[in-house]
Amino acid sequence: MSHTPVPHEPFELRGDALREAVLAYAANPLYTDNEEWENSDNPYRRQLRPQVLPYLDFDRVPGRERILEYSSLAAQRLLTSIYEADLVFFPKAGLGELAEDFRRYYSPGNRARGELIRPALERFAFGFLDEEVEVSGDWTTEGLLAYLDELDVYAPGEPSAAEKAIRDSSDPQRAARMWLIQFAPDFLSEASPMARNVLGYYGDEQSEWFKILIDEYGYGVHETKHSTLFEATLESVGLGADLHRYWQYYLVSSLALNNYFHYLGKNHEHFFRYVGALYYTESTLVDFCRRAENLLKDVFDGSADARYFSEHVHIDQHHGRMALEKLVKPLIKRHGEQIIPEIVRGIEEFRLLSTIADEDFATQIAWMDDADRYKELHDPVYEAIREGRVTPPVADIVEPYGELSNTHSHEGDELCHIVSGTMRFVSGFNSYRILEAGEGTVIQRNRLHGAIIESEECVYQIFSVGDHRACLS
Amino acid sequence: MPVVTFKVSGADNCVRVADLPYVYIRTETGGSVLPASCPHRGGPLNLATVDAAGRRLVCPWHERGTSLSRLRRQVPAVRSGDTVTAVLPGPADVPVEHCHLPLSPALAAGA
Repeated sequence: MSHTPVPHEPFELRGDALREAVLAYAANPLYTDNEEWENSDNPYRRQLRPQVLPYLDFDRVPGRERILEYSSLAAQRLLTSIYEADLVFFPKAGLGELAEDFRRYYSPGNRARGELIRPALERFAFGFLDEEVEVSGDWTTEGLLAYLDELDVYAPGEPSAAEKAIRDSSDPQRAARMWLIQFAPDFLSEASPMARNVLGYYGDEQSEWFKILIDEYGYGVHETKHSTLFEATLESVGLGADLHRYWQYYLVSSLALNNYFHYLGKNHEHFFRYVGALYYTESTLVDFCRRAENLLKDVFDGSADARYFSEHVHIDQHHGRMALEKLVKPLIKRHGEQIIPEIVRGIEEFRLLSTIADEDFATQIAWMDDADRYKELHDPVYEAIREGRVTPPVADIVEPYGELSNTHSHEGDELCHIVSGTMRFVSGFNSYRILEAGEGTVIQRNRLHGAIIESEECVYQIFSVGDHRACLS
Repeated sequence: MPVVTFKVSGADNCVRVADLPYVYIRTETGGSVLPASCPHRGGPLNLATVDAAGRRLVCPWHERGTSLSRLRRQVPAVRSGDTVTAVLPGPADVPVEHCHLPLSPALAAGA
């Protein structure tokens, strides 16, 4: 008896089907806008701004020059929510009244809908790396070791753009808190993406990787678990340590950096890429954490609990060595030099994402620090519009007291002009300006911001000016 | 083995190691670092064309074809954005000189 083979069609969700699937996922009540700036001990609530998603196109691959745009922020928020449904979270205060949220987040429906859209969102979020990083030639172990040697991962490095931005900020403590907030998605569930790689059955290297993992988890001693140390850091500078309290303040690049490891860990065809990224991050964290420890000590006059960072100065010297000697080299020996290009690619992709995140953070701090300047720019830009020298599209908006515009960004500069009422315009954690009737602010493209109405009603206009400098000439 | 980082285009798009120049080239099938010197008589492979089948670089001096896939395999390299890092043959302490070499249109698809 003969059988006709069933034609195999690779799974791919595109166009309207993708859009509808994204909307179906984000329609979960967990993902609606918050009425507060912060989440409060509820690890299941993640603001995805579902009302905006119908207008976003995820069926494309943005180039590097566009990965800080709002569509990317929306994609990274979605991916964080999808990846983390594999992890276990409970409120610090116990489940209490959040049992319904708990069930909604871990429900088969939420998880299945997330998995359905994940490949397309990953293509959208990380597809630019295919263009940006390219490995070529025949790599040998000798060549790889020469390349790793040249990276000089343990050498004392220069302060990153982010570290400089904090030290140079008009409010270094605020900037440092914003910085720590960016680490929270990673550090509070630290090594969870890595844990995806220790399941299964693949030989000695699996057990070696497990050793690194249990270091991160403090060998089962909760007080020494790295996330516990980071909680102490957050609390020592007056921040909350409950999961995703500061969801609205995460930058797109911070989420991308954390999601990158989930992306590699979730898709085991990228296993060797993860090994490369692991080696690089564990090795370079030694110097980074040394600088971070000093930075926090300086900025908070010694009052910050920086044990999280001092612990990594020590343990990551071991982890970098372990990643090379116990993972990279044995894996090459077992699987052949064919895996080296993927290891190199993981290193370079992580380096690139780190650079992007550093620069994005530094730009955000400048945007927060320059709040007065952007507020002053309202007058000449609005004047240009009023006189008809520029004619940008405008949205007229009326909002009631307490209406909170959850944080977002725009692909071009915008002008916010208050017609009547009062708005608190927020440009980052603890960074805001009060805007009264006749006032406003220029909103820089790709900069995270939000707003809340502080009068009974506020009538305002948003002009999409594109590049505000064009209004000044 | 010297490990050298240089630009994929413009000034300093070439490194010279032991008198042999290396450039980053990009054709429709991808990018790679290769010696810009024809194995025949040392002609400028940076100015080569690609044959009709897309398989060989044709040196402008004697129109000798060299397998593109063989050339691509010679130098392990990784490009990140507009810079490329290559692991070149030879002792690690060999002098390295950055310079510029023009590329033929066929080899500058990504420039």
